[in-house]
Amino acid sequence: MPDLADVYRAMGTLLPFEFLQPRFMRQSLLGLLLLSPMTAAMGVQVVNLRMAFFSDAISHSAFAGVALGLTLAVNPRFSAIVLALLIGLGVTFCHRRIRLSGDSVIGVFFSGVVAAGLAAASRDRAIARSVQAFLYGDILTIGDSEIFVLAAALPITLAFQYFAYNRMLYLGLDPVLAGAHGVKVGAWQYIFAGLLSFTAIFSVWSVGVFLVTAMLVVPAAAARNLAASAGGMFWWALLISLSSSVAGLAVSAQDWAGTATGATIVLAALIWFGLSLLPILLRGARKHA
Amino acid sequence: MNPPDIVNATVTFSNVTVVLDRNLILDRVTAVIPRGGCTAVVGPNGAGKTTLLLAMLGYVPHRGEIGFPGRRGAPRFGYVPQRLDFDRELPLTAGEFIRLGESRSPLWLRAGKGERARIERTLSLVNLEYCRDRRIGDLSGGELQRLLLAAALERKPEVLLLDEAVSATDPVNRNELIRLLERFRREMGFAQVMISHDLATVLALADHLICLDRKVLAAGTPEALDASGDLAAFFPGISLAEPKARSESA
Repeated sequence: MPDLADVYRAMGTLLPFEFLQPRFMRQSLLGLLLLSPMTAAMGVQVVNLRMAFFSDAISHSAFAGVALGLTLAVNPRFSAIVLALLIGLGVTFCHRRIRLSGDSVIGVFFSGVVAAGLAAASRDRAIARSVQAFLYGDILTIGDSEIFVLAAALPITLAFQYFAYNRMLYLGLDPVLAGAHGVKVGAWQYIFAGLLSFTAIFSVWSVGVFLVTAMLVVPAAAARNLAASAGGMFWWALLISLSSSVAGLAVSAQDWAGTATGATIVLAALIWFGLSLLPILLRGARKHA
Repeated sequence: MNPPDIVNATVTFSNVTVVLDRNLILDRVTAVIPRGGCTAVVGPNGAGKTTLLLAMLGYVPHRGEIGFPGRRGAPRFGYVPQRLDFDRELPLTAGEFIRLGESRSPLWLRAGKGERARIERTLSLVNLEYCRDRRIGDLSGGELQRLLLAAALERKPEVLLLDEAVSATDPVNRNELIRLLERFRREMGFAQVMISHDLATVLALADHLICLDRKVLAAGTPEALDASGDLAAFFPGISLAEPKARSESA
């Protein structure tokens, strides 16, 4: 595995901020700079396709995934990814094949993974401790191996966004219309579900199970309010996600704050969301004037 | 009922049966869509008209055969739904909507010069140049129908499917859509299949009718169905010899 020491040294030189002096902070920043564009871009589709509940179910599958890994004596991060992928594809399969609403299908899977995770945690204290670490996440403990995984996942996500952005938007508008006009609806739904499952599990590492959906949804929802076009929504989401991550990391490192990094990142994104409501309120006021 | 003429057909239905949730929606439908013509599928609510279109698009599982004579796979379809149920706050402009279907580059990259010209050209086909940068949620019902038609035409369809797309608009927009559809079919040569409850629209555009109520009750030219009395059975009190009565009734 290549050594990232030179990268961290360069970051220290280019970004001479006090909070970035410890190496683990530079590691965290690098991790966030890789993760944030992924969650921002995938979040645009989560918002447009109304799939917030889906990403919630995937992030909660981390419970069962970690428990499964510890029970089978395999790396829990690996088992969490595999289970998340299976859940994501399973939900998509059932939604397409069973005449049951999407929410109901996701609800069934959601209940299943949470119940399985809790059952395993209640049976074994060691599993309970490991599962707890995934509840809150901690970007400050991110290691080089995770950074390499993120560095590999980012170009894949961006390639997906290049080829699928228009198609996913079409699909969100009307799947029948999209299909009639040449979009391979099923294939893109499965690819999206798989990639979103990966992104959600990567986010669990940094912000924890509880805040994954916020990491995906809040920047994209704010972007939707601020953008004048669907193309602009993508760039707004990137800007909001990246700036919230950097601001959240910087603020959480201050002595006066002393807050968890993941939660602070989400709070920073929520400030963006609050600001994004202003143009909507102004437009509404002008309409009623 | 005369046997369908499959020689000049672009789509053929042969004993097509659709059962959904144990309900028989289509019952051994046998019919043809003539090449280059305008076929109207008429029938009461729940007759299976939309299901027939969706089966053609491959969206509904069916028994029997839907064939496309003279070609291996399905033709290139253009589809105009009755309405688009979408979040009206979605920041998608009319120009971007046209880009969705055919553009190779994502919307988050600026369209090239050639692509921008193509979008302008497509919007101008349906007289919507002025809407290019407007959100689709801000368009009127008639403008949105014309935009959907433009997106369908952008695909250079071999078969254009209209699901109550014309009759869903107000009379002014309806007349404009009818005029545009006649022009495009003449210029582009596609076969048109439309579902409509509106007799005035049907008679203004269609040269072939399929009267459907789960099964095909009658099919043929409007004149032939008028002569046989089938048209009057579907639209009571209507005769092609009385154009005024037709339009008033519609």
